[in-house]
Amino acid sequence: MLEVIDLSSKVGTFVLSNVSLTIFPSSCHVILGPTGSGKTLLLEAIIGLRMPQKGKVILEDNEITFLPIEQRGLSYVPQDLALFPHMTVKENILYPLRVRGKRQNIENGIVQELVNSLGIRHLLDRSVKNLSGGERQRTALARALASGCKYLVLDEPLSALHESLKKELWYLLKDLQRRYDLSILMVTHDLEEAFFLGDRMTIVLDGKVRQQGTKDQVYKHPASFDVAEFLGIRNLFSVQTEKVTDDAPSVYCRGLRTTLKLSETALESKLIKTSSFFIGVRSEDVAILLPGELKAHTNNIVTGAVRDTFENGPFLMLIVTNPDCSLSVEAAIPRITAKKLRLSKGSSISLLLPEESLFLIAP
Amino acid sequence: MNFRKISIACSFATFGLYAALILSLFYFFQGEKLLDTLLSERTLFSVRLSLAAATISTVFSIVIALPAAFALSRYEFRGKRAVDTMLELPMIVSPAALGAMLLIFFNNPLGLWIQDHGAQFVFTFYGIVLAQFVTICGVSTRLIKAAMDEIPPRYEAVARTLGASPAKAFLTITLPLSKRGIIAASILSWAKALGEFGATITIAGSMAMKTETLPIAIFMRLSSAEIEGTVVLILILVSIGLSILYAVRFLSRGNSYA
Repeated sequence: MLEVIDLSSKVGTFVLSNVSLTIFPSSCHVILGPTGSGKTLLLEAIIGLRMPQKGKVILEDNEITFLPIEQRGLSYVPQDLALFPHMTVKENILYPLRVRGKRQNIENGIVQELVNSLGIRHLLDRSVKNLSGGERQRTALARALASGCKYLVLDEPLSALHESLKKELWYLLKDLQRRYDLSILMVTHDLEEAFFLGDRMTIVLDGKVRQQGTKDQVYKHPASFDVAEFLGIRNLFSVQTEKVTDDAPSVYCRGLRTTLKLSETALESKLIKTSSFFIGVRSEDVAILLPGELKAHTNNIVTGAVRDTFENGPFLMLIVTNPDCSLSVEAAIPRITAKKLRLSKGSSISLLLPEESLFLIAP
Repeated sequence: MNFRKISIACSFATFGLYAALILSLFYFFQGEKLLDTLLSERTLFSVRLSLAAATISTVFSIVIALPAAFALSRYEFRGKRAVDTMLELPMIVSPAALGAMLLIFFNNPLGLWIQDHGAQFVFTFYGIVLAQFVTICGVSTRLIKAAMDEIPPRYEAVARTLGASPAKAFLTITLPLSKRGIIAASILSWAKALGEFGATITIAGSMAMKTETLPIAIFMRLSSAEIEGTVVLILILVSIGLSILYAVRFLSRGNSYA
């Protein structure tokens, strides 16, 4: 287990403060945040490239905060991969064995297995200058794993790749993680990548940890307005508590002029006891109610007109506004459904904000 | 005439200026004098002395410059700016002043003690090497630092995460990647040492067959109005210098890893 306890680091005027996180064995922990949020600074402090101002880094019960980089037992793949340009693919992969004075043979145990499983045997004698993006990526991973390290630290290593190659490498990383029982700490600003690869995640905004938890917790319950905005959730509405009963708390949203019934789990939140807070719902969780279905629902309905539409891959994004309302609701519906319902700009529509999909956010 | 043509014309004008100076030597060039001067014991001594002194001073300066350049390129430390500025001293102080500074140093109590208990520098071969070393050490460090600045420090960081100690990362990553820059710096330093005159003559004097390097031999022959001999010696110096600069250009091609 790799633990980071109350770690603070500074570069220029930027301060990363009081970060604590735990990377459990055989899991992938993703540090997610926008560019300039301090993710790379955090990684550099963990692997020893930058001395922290305070805090501890503990690897399997041994404090490594001030250990030299080479004695920490953390393999690192930076954003630009840093393949050694004066060496061939083979020399790059064998480098960890060479500097540790071990026998350098490509046919040796783990190295041979890595070369085969990463599909780079045919590249071994090539200069790294002549590799494609995916080949460079595989070589960097093989080199990092050839050291025999079980802890892999990745700094946005896939950011420069195109979509299809990136996704291919997501599967490869998952496979390597299972096969070699790796614990991965990875930095990214790509939400899709984070939710695909991460088991747990830490969201860092402006040098501070804003949320930590399993990917399910982060996905379903963003901890703050900032986190929800960063996660791309656009349906964030200010609400006032209307009624709190044991089974069905409800809130009133003045902007949407509707009462929203919340699920029982909302009672677990301290926010329900305060008078006003925010409610969020992901656009993909917003449902369209057909005329026949309207009678079955009395709450959580927003009726209005489609103000705008945007195509987004397999989805059509609808921006729905009631003429009396000051707020809009964004709904992502499959394009095939939109086509069936003949939805376009100006269409009248009723949306359901399902109670189980609503989450509470502090103001 | 457009800007492109004007700038190209200026570059040819610069070339023409130096080419004219070299060509003008041939006005006094006598073919039969070439072999006599070239093979004379005094000229061969000057060539041997110059090559030996320049090689030794270059080796010393590179040995010091390599770690110094690495420190200046990679680490932040107190006094770094002062060290960096001091590297330019040989470029801003004239060679004669540099030689005078050395001479004055060896007349101070510390300098006298070194001369009494160690090697004699004033008017000796050691003086020539020291004068050349002082002149080129800053330049070598500056040139090697520039080559190391081109190499992203991330390579060394990754090497260390793969198990290399700082020294191993330097030897296996930084050194091979800056190899061309180091060779180029060595050659340029060597060429500068070979042509060094001001500091050398101030500390080592101009004693025939003792401290007579090629530039000092040129000065001495010119002083005694021996123009034809001077021309031959200048041509030797120019040939060595130009071949070395060509080698530097050749070695510096495509040295970018950033």
